[in-house]
Parts: sequence; C-alpha cells; structure tokens
Amino acid sequence: MGKNFSAPLERTARLLDLVPYIHAHQGIALKDLAAVFEVSNAQMVNDLTTLWMCGLPGYTPLELMDLDFESGYVSISNAPTLAKPRSVTFDEGVALILGLDLLRASIPVDRIDLLEKIDFLSARISTIINLSSTFSVIAPINQGVSAAIDQALSSRCTLEIEYHSVYRDEVTERVVFPIEIVEIDGQQYLSSYCYSASDFRQFKLDRIQSAVVTHEIKTIPKDSSKTEKINSRLKVLKPNRQIAERFSKSDLKAGSEFVFQTYSQQWLERSILSSGDGVVLITPPEIRASIAQMAQSMLDRYKDE
Amino acid sequence: MSRKIERLINLTIALLATKRYLTKSEIFRSVEGYEGSAETKERMFERDKDDLRSLGIEIEVGSFDPIFNDEAGYRIKQEKYQLDLGEITPTEISLLSLAAQAWQGASFDEAAQKALLKLSSMGVPSDSLSLPTSAHKVNDGGGDLPLITKAIAEQQLITFVYLDSQLDRQERKVVPVGLSSRSGFWYISGVDQEIQEIRTFRIDRIDGEITATKGPKDFELPQSFDPARVFDGDASQSFAIIDVRKGKGFSLRALASSSQSLGEWDQLRLPIYNLNTLASLVLWHGIDVYVQEPFELRELIVAHLEKLVNNHG
Repeated sequence: MGKNFSAPLERTARLLDLVPYIHAHQGIALKDLAAVFEVSNAQMVNDLTTLWMCGLPGYTPLELMDLDFESGYVSISNAPTLAKPRSVTFDEGVALILGLDLLRASIPVDRIDLLEKIDFLSARISTIINLSSTFSVIAPINQGVSAAIDQALSSRCTLEIEYHSVYRDEVTERVVFPIEIVEIDGQQYLSSYCYSASDFRQFKLDRIQSAVVTHEIKTIPKDSSKTEKINSRLKVLKPNRQIAERFSKSDLKAGSEFVFQTYSQQWLERSILSSGDGVVLITPPEIRASIAQMAQSMLDRYKDE
Repeated sequence: MSRKIERLINLTIALLATKRYLTKSEIFRSVEGYEGSAETKERMFERDKDDLRSLGIEIEVGSFDPIFNDEAGYRIKQEKYQLDLGEITPTEISLLSLAAQAWQGASFDEAAQKALLKLSSMGVPSDSLSLPTSAHKVNDGGGDLPLITKAIAEQQLITFVYLDSQLDRQERKVVPVGLSSRSGFWYISGVDQEIQEIRTFRIDRIDGEITATKGPKDFELPQSFDPARVFDGDASQSFAIIDVRKGKGFSLRALASSSQSLGEWDQLRLPIYNLNTLASLVLWHGIDVYVQEPFELRELIVAHLEKLVNNHG
C-alpha cells in the first residue's frame, strides 16, 4: 500500500516492529512469530540474528539486545529503547479512523461509554497523523438490523424482516433463513431462503428496514428454484450514465443494441419507463406491449387534467 | 545488506536513547557501521537519514547549545517515535482492533493489518467485546483511496476524468476536502477549481487514473463545508408537488419534505435538485405517481411518455 519500500528498508521496518512485538509476546514460538510477520522461518531466524547485533553505542554485551531463540521460542531483554511500538503511519491512521467511524454505527445507542471511547480514539489518532480534514463512513445498516442478522447467522435460525423492494415499490414483511452476507459490485446483500417467495433471494442490506430473530427452526425445501430468466433485447437511443449503470454497460452508443437478462419483469418495465426516451425494449414482445400500455395510461391522465 | 540494516537500527537506537542532540562527529565515533573516508561517512549518513524519514521516523535537527554557534545535532524524540495513545484500556484496544478488522479484503487492508500489529505490541491485553461486526465491513473503494486520503491531508490538487450524467467525459480539477462512504459507494467532496464551489463525486464514476499534484498555495478549507451534509444536495430553490398512491412510492417518500393525505393518495412536497433525475424517478413508479407541479416537470414527463408509447407501439 502507498509506498513500496526497497527490500532493506522493508526489513529495517520489520526489525523495528519485531522488538516491541516480542516484548509483548515473550516466549512466542518462532514459527508463530514468522507467521505474524508473514516471512519464512529461515528469514525470521535471519532477522533475529541481525537484531542480536544491534544495541546502544558501546556494543558490549551490556549494551546489546539480548535475544533468545535457539529453543524455538523467542524472548527478548535489554531493549528498552525500542520496546514500545512505532507510531502509526498516515495510511494506518486513516484506516483506523475510517474503521472507527464504521464501528460507531454498530454500537448500541445506550453504550455511551463505548461511543465516547470511539470519539476519543478517533480524535487522538487524528492528532497523531496530523489530520484536520474529515473522513466519514456511513454504515449501510442500523445497529438493530445488524445485530439481528448476526444472531440469526450464528445460531442458524430464521429472521422476520421488513424489506423495501425497489422493483415492486413496496415494503413487505418476509420470513427468511439467512445463509450469508455476500458482496456484489461493492454492494452488500443478505443471501437467504425466503419463505414468502418460496425461493432463494438476495436482500440488499441497506434496504432491510427492520429485522427480528424468530427462533423458529425451519428447513429449506428441496428443489425450490422456480424463477425463470427473462431474455430481453434493448436498443439505445440516447446514451446516459443512468442507463449505463442500470444495465452495467460501460460503452453505450446511440443506435447500438444489447442483450440483457433479468429475473424480474417489473424491474425491466420500470427501468425502461424511467429511462424515458433513452432506450427501447425490442423483445420480448409481451413486455414491450405492457410498457406501451403503461405509458399510455399515464399519459392519458396527464392529458385529461 | 545486513550491515546497512544493522547500521540503520543502531542509528535509530542511538538517536532515541540520547537526551540531547548528537553531532555528526559523535554519531560517526559511536554508532557502529560508519566507516571509510569522511566523505563516505557523510554520504552514508545523509542516505540513512532519508531512509529513516521515509519510514516515517522523525529526526529532529537542532543544537544543544544555542548560544554558541554549534555544529548541528540530531535526535529522535521518543514521544514522536512511539505510538502514544495515552492511558489506554483493554476495551479501547479492542475497539481499535475491530476498526482495523473492518478493512478485511478492502483498500486499506494492509495498512490496517500493520496498525493491528502495532496495537498488539503495546502489551495491553484486549477485552473480548461482543459487538456485531460481521455485517460491518468497509466496501472496497479500489486502489485510489490511499491517494485520495493523502491528497486531502496535504491539500493537493487532483485531476481526473469524470463521467457526467450524459456520459460526457469531463476533466475535473478538484482540491479534495472530504471522503465519505454511503450505500456501498465512496464519494470525494472537494472544491472544483473551475467554479470554486464544493462538488461531490462518486469514485467509481471516475474514468481512468487520478493524478495528484501540488495544490494551490492560497487554498483555504471552505468554512461552510459540513461533511455530514454532503448528501443533502444544494439548498433547493424549487419544489415539486407529487401525488403518490398510499403504500407506494417509497423512494419518493424518502425524499419528501412534507406529506398530506388525500384519501387514496398522499400529496408530497419534494425539493428539486435535478429535474431529469426527478423525472426518471417519477417514471419508475408508473401509474402510482402523478406530478401536479411544476409545469416543466409535467412537460418533461409527458414528452418522455409520448416517446415511450411511440417507441414501444
């Protein structure tokens, strides 16, 4: 990340960080230490041998660090100057500050003690890395939802959720069996079996409005997939960013056609309507007709009044 | 190679342990590894200083007796070198560790792991805090986040090509002032140098590389910038009056500043930030939404609907 140090510098940094780590973990197994610092055992022995030669000016046994690792377990003494960990770098500080910001949203609101600690730590690290600007991460979901999902996932039980479906434009209550949290194109989804739909569904985390663990033991029916894919063909009339993002097409040209697959007829109809004069649906013909009809009835109302 | 590393470590230790500034000649005399002609030693020392500084170690230059025009001396202040979080509790260590873990697999993961290593070297045990964390991972902002955060801290000028809503590629020159993440997307806010106003850009809409150069000398952080209000849009001068069927139009309801019940329908008052965006959102909701005002929005929607009927007839 950021800077790529040359090999000797990277090794210098590692040696400086090794001393406080061993200090805090006296007697750690050599192979564990190598794993923590992501180097081979041989490299770790090399590193420790080099450290052994370092110390305060004078460089007699009195001033040199005392390292013991021949037994396969590592301990250190006589290294007071380097015993404390180095300060955090700018990137490390930023990672912590943004992480704390995200963490803030997962703390129950009545834990004022923890929230205050987070503010304190964030301010402290900002001072250390000399940061006066603002970074903020807004957690995708609220604390209650997140806690319920966690509990359901770890205890393998069902959840009752209120979900805002943008395709159907409704908020529905559903009972789901959560399987895992997946990330698709940078967005997080709860992958679940939905008993209301009798099928597997992915729920976008930030559209889950509430979630309650039901403690009901339910099973996922076998052979439960009944959804059919819709194959559609579209023609671009006026390319714009919204169309490009909605249909995940990076190179839109006026007059070009492309094929698009979806599971939801409603999503397709609404997407075409909302693209206005930007795209035309060519096939399937029944959805094309339904779009024409929807647009006509909307138009009638505007013409009437 | 080993000898250079030893010398760097020894130099660090010597500069950390000293209570006063060490002069170059004292360093050459006492720190092991400085050998050769005076010129060679001088060169070695200059390079070593640069190397340590590039590792983030601050070397202070000063003289221990300001009255006499002494030779410059060097030292590393313990309090600058060490991670100083003050009196820190096991709970605080746990909070920081959880914060670092939020980056698993995302942009700052490597830096976060290094920070974790330092935290676990503080010799403070951590508490087992039972907090929900699995649902809270930072979304990956791609490789640009470190560059952007550095540009924000140093008030650099960043230049990039941005895809506007008509897919036109525009070159933007911006002094970034804030970074935020919402609904899985990362945004940069900054002062657009062409119009001297704050604009917010979604990072995944940037086409190609972001380059950072030295920022304008007289740059001042705008007083009016409030990071919490990045997503609120500019103060809107105009409003739309839109009828929405009960139990429908949730995305529009979320934007409404007021709502009034009209039996089967609710009448919403919505700020207009962008007429085209609002028209598109209205069209998405089909027959469940009807625009009363303003006239331009009705006109725009009627024009789109006529095309839609024609194109699909």
